[in-house]
Amino acid sequence: MIEYIIKIKREVRSIFKDRWVWLMAWRDGRHNFSRLFLFVASLITGIAAVVAIGSLNYALQGELDNNAKELLGADLVINSSKPFDKGFIKKLDTAKRELAKDADMPSMVMFLNTKQSRLIKLTALEGAFPFYGKIVTQPANAYELMKTGRYALLDESLARQYEVSSNDTIRLGTKNFIVAGVVEKFPGGGELTATLAPAVYISFSALDSTGLVQFGSRINYSLFVKTTSEKQTENAINLIKPLVEDLGYSYETIEGRKKGLGEGFQSVYRFFSLLAFIALILGCIGVASSVHIYAREKREEVAVLRCVGSSGWQAFNIYFIQIFVLGVVGSIIGALLGVGIQQLIPYAFGDYLPLELQLGISWRAFGEGIFIGALVSVLFSILPLVAVRFVPPLAVLRSDFGSTKVVSKTKWTAIVLIGLFPLLAAAYQTSSFISGGLFTIGLALALGSLALVAMGLLYLVRRYFPKNGSFIFRHALSNLFRPNNQTQVLLVTIGLGAFIISTLNIIQSSLLNQVEFRGNENQSNTILFDIQSSQKDDVVKLISKHNLPVNQVVPIVTCRLSGINGFTVEKLQDSDSVKIPNWALTREYRVTYRDSLHSSEELIEGEMHLYKAGAQDSVGVTISEGMHETLKVKVGDTLMFDIQGVPIKTFISGIRKVEWPNDPPNFIFVFPNGVLENAPQIWVATTRVDNPSEAIQFQQELVFGFPNVSLIDLKLILSTVDELFSKIGLVVRFLALFSIVTGLVVLAGAVMNSKFARIKENVLLRTLGARTGQIMKITLIEYSYVGIFSAITGLVLSLGGGWLLTKFFFEVQFSVNLVELAIITGSVIFLTVLIGWWNSREVISTPPLQVLRKEG
Amino acid sequence: MPETVLKAEGLTKIYKSAENNLTVLDNVSFEAVQGTSLTIIGPSGSGKTTLLGLCAGLDVPTSGIISLMGFKLNAMDEDDRAYIRNQFVGFVFQNFQLLPTLTALENVMVPLELRGEKNVAPKAKDLLARVGLSERFSHYPTQLSGGEQQRVALARAFITSPRILFADEPTGNLDEENATQITDLLFGMNREEKTTLILVTHNLELAQKTERILQMKGGKLVSERILNLA
Repeated sequence: MIEYIIKIKREVRSIFKDRWVWLMAWRDGRHNFSRLFLFVASLITGIAAVVAIGSLNYALQGELDNNAKELLGADLVINSSKPFDKGFIKKLDTAKRELAKDADMPSMVMFLNTKQSRLIKLTALEGAFPFYGKIVTQPANAYELMKTGRYALLDESLARQYEVSSNDTIRLGTKNFIVAGVVEKFPGGGELTATLAPAVYISFSALDSTGLVQFGSRINYSLFVKTTSEKQTENAINLIKPLVEDLGYSYETIEGRKKGLGEGFQSVYRFFSLLAFIALILGCIGVASSVHIYAREKREEVAVLRCVGSSGWQAFNIYFIQIFVLGVVGSIIGALLGVGIQQLIPYAFGDYLPLELQLGISWRAFGEGIFIGALVSVLFSILPLVAVRFVPPLAVLRSDFGSTKVVSKTKWTAIVLIGLFPLLAAAYQTSSFISGGLFTIGLALALGSLALVAMGLLYLVRRYFPKNGSFIFRHALSNLFRPNNQTQVLLVTIGLGAFIISTLNIIQSSLLNQVEFRGNENQSNTILFDIQSSQKDDVVKLISKHNLPVNQVVPIVTCRLSGINGFTVEKLQDSDSVKIPNWALTREYRVTYRDSLHSSEELIEGEMHLYKAGAQDSVGVTISEGMHETLKVKVGDTLMFDIQGVPIKTFISGIRKVEWPNDPPNFIFVFPNGVLENAPQIWVATTRVDNPSEAIQFQQELVFGFPNVSLIDLKLILSTVDELFSKIGLVVRFLALFSIVTGLVVLAGAVMNSKFARIKENVLLRTLGARTGQIMKITLIEYSYVGIFSAITGLVLSLGGGWLLTKFFFEVQFSVNLVELAIITGSVIFLTVLIGWWNSREVISTPPLQVLRKEG
Repeated sequence: MPETVLKAEGLTKIYKSAENNLTVLDNVSFEAVQGTSLTIIGPSGSGKTTLLGLCAGLDVPTSGIISLMGFKLNAMDEDDRAYIRNQFVGFVFQNFQLLPTLTALENVMVPLELRGEKNVAPKAKDLLARVGLSERFSHYPTQLSGGEQQRVALARAFITSPRILFADEPTGNLDEENATQITDLLFGMNREEKTTLILVTHNLELAQKTERILQMKGGKLVSERILNLA
């Protein structure tokens, strides 16, 4: 009986001990360096985006932690809408805590050098504020000058905008002030609202002399407290807590401000980090796609290696080492790029940040970027590389011999990990599994939808392209469907970037359209408010004197809710069964009275009840849609109002749908005529001013004649909002650009991967008589197709997604700026053609004989 | 008594497809002893390449036994067969099958490096010089002519001093002059190394240089001719 040996003992070396695989990885890689680098180039942009946002977040959090006290300028701040009760201040002062105060209010400033005026936030300061941090002024002594009472300080941006310099004169109310200088830095400054109403600072002692403190003026008073320890701060809070609630004050501590700002920054960070994450996911798709093609092209070489004795794992390890090393290199480059980009962000957004960011490298973000990049390059290359393990050696004899299907633990582990990666990474970015999960589902839906749209588009084009069309156009189209094409991957990756930018554009356009005053030529673009009753007629006369339309003259009465359906506000605040937000119960409401609907309103339920004076009639008020849900009330329910000490019981007679941005002012509650005429009230008037010189003249007379009346120029608001949207949009577009760049890198990779096949094709065409110009046209048209189809794919989805978002999320009218969308589409096509052509130059220009020699 | 280096017993290979099964090899048996040479000859589709692949352990039979140097190949997994190939087998292919990203020298060194041997360059250089390529160490396959590439392949095949050499149409892609040179080199080195040569070819003239000819037709071994006794 013949004895056969069926088992052998062979040494299995691990990847770390097998010198040969490292040697082979280098030998093979040195020729394919540029191709291999493209695999991870798509990673670089994603890592750069992630590191840039991560670095900024850590820098901000670090600054928040290190400079928390500067955010408030004090240890405790107490706010009130009326002057502080003297007893309250005395109680606070008993422990000899250092106190400072300010009062701020919207007002008009007139620049006497140019006679221009503007809405500003007037801030009157007293005491040693800030206790922490500094008010940095130019010149340095300007703050001390301001304290004398005759001088004012301006926000730097305001002074720049109106060309005001030191020693110029401005008018606030009835008083002139000399400009002492500008404020470059203010503790806790950098609020977004400062762009709409920049600040002017005066001494608290000078506030009364301006004549601006009148009935109805909306002044916010703040008391700043300095303590010597956290314990002292805690004692102060315990002392004032009961008084604060009784007197209707509120307070804020450093921790509270830090928490609020921190939460705000975290929300913004999460949003932007998810955008960056999209670029990273596209990079993963690029890596997987490129490695898949690379592995297929290595099939024959792997078969030879198997023939001469290499194991499957050794063959796998050779290419794995290449991808991993380049993945780490690419991640380092991406992380460095990200750190570089992060240094630029403060220049774009420094005005809106309440802290000064110290430029530097966040090593944590840098390390995280490298780790994520290495992980991604491993995870997304394992699956396509696994096939290398199972290349049969028989393929050296029969190139068409396929691998037998093998159940591979490595393959299934890779599939599971790839499936989990987006979820875990998104959860890490958002610090929430739910948010991460929802985002992953959303992203999967977006990518899936893009893939479907791309597939549908390609199917339609292939099916319905004119068969008798020009050869060049037909051949260029058929190139998209060549074996090993990555057309669909390209359409999805480039299309996703186009989708994000287009959707952002649609939302921005729709939101701006809401605040823009178009259509009706007579619609108001100027609002005058804080008009006293005694001034009303004269203000109307002034408007008419300038031949301006008086569109609205509306009374405003301030009041608070004291009860709903028989329950007091205090009971409702403590109630566990009825959950009404506290802000809705305790806020100050500004109501008006009339018997008709405004042009921006539509009655959707009930009626506008007309009050019959002297007939013991009930007072029926209408409530705005949405607020009735917040207050959990319906038609017929009762509301008790406290109209400056006078209780008025009302019932809800109707619900109005209000187009808030349309023709303001608009109101949550509207009373009927005959109820509030005698209540203390101020007035708002609206008009339309089209001519800028007319506007200046009108504002001059208004400021001189009625110094307490403020004016909102809605055109200015619109341009400020537009600028703000643009800045935010810039960052979003910048991050979305990463997606497009990633897509273009994948495109470059696809071109390089198919280079030799394309060269052979072009040689054949030339042999058959095609000229260089024709081959160039075919190439350009082919990439134009890729660009057009990618842009259409993204555009189709963005129109659908944009419509859904505007209708159901933002609840505004869907609006599209066709010019901007055309620019986006054109840019995508141009970039795609440029990248494709650039990488195809060698393909077009290789002479036929050179190819034939290689073949022989 | 000469050692049997290769033994095929009742080799059958059936490819299964959706429509029908294709029997490419049908119950083929033969043996080869150390230092001898034989040719497998037959028309296209006769199963000779399949038989070569099974004998070299590149594939497994549907039934039958194939043993190489006493190792039962069909009972081993792919990696074990690769190990056996590295230890005992050399290959020369019609399409040369050089690794395009490695130089001529590096291509020759690969089999020994796979064994973990170090400092193999001198031996590789000697072999390349022997096949007349001492000026081509650092050339890549695309920089070599067909004949030069096949010489490199020969050098690679012999670097491990194999016990058995499989050559599949080694002159199939060469012109007459190169074909003659390669043939001379192949048989010369074979004699020197006392390697068992298993040759697959259409070329009768080449086949007649070996000691035995196995004729394949329709997947069956139809005849065996002994030409030269060593």
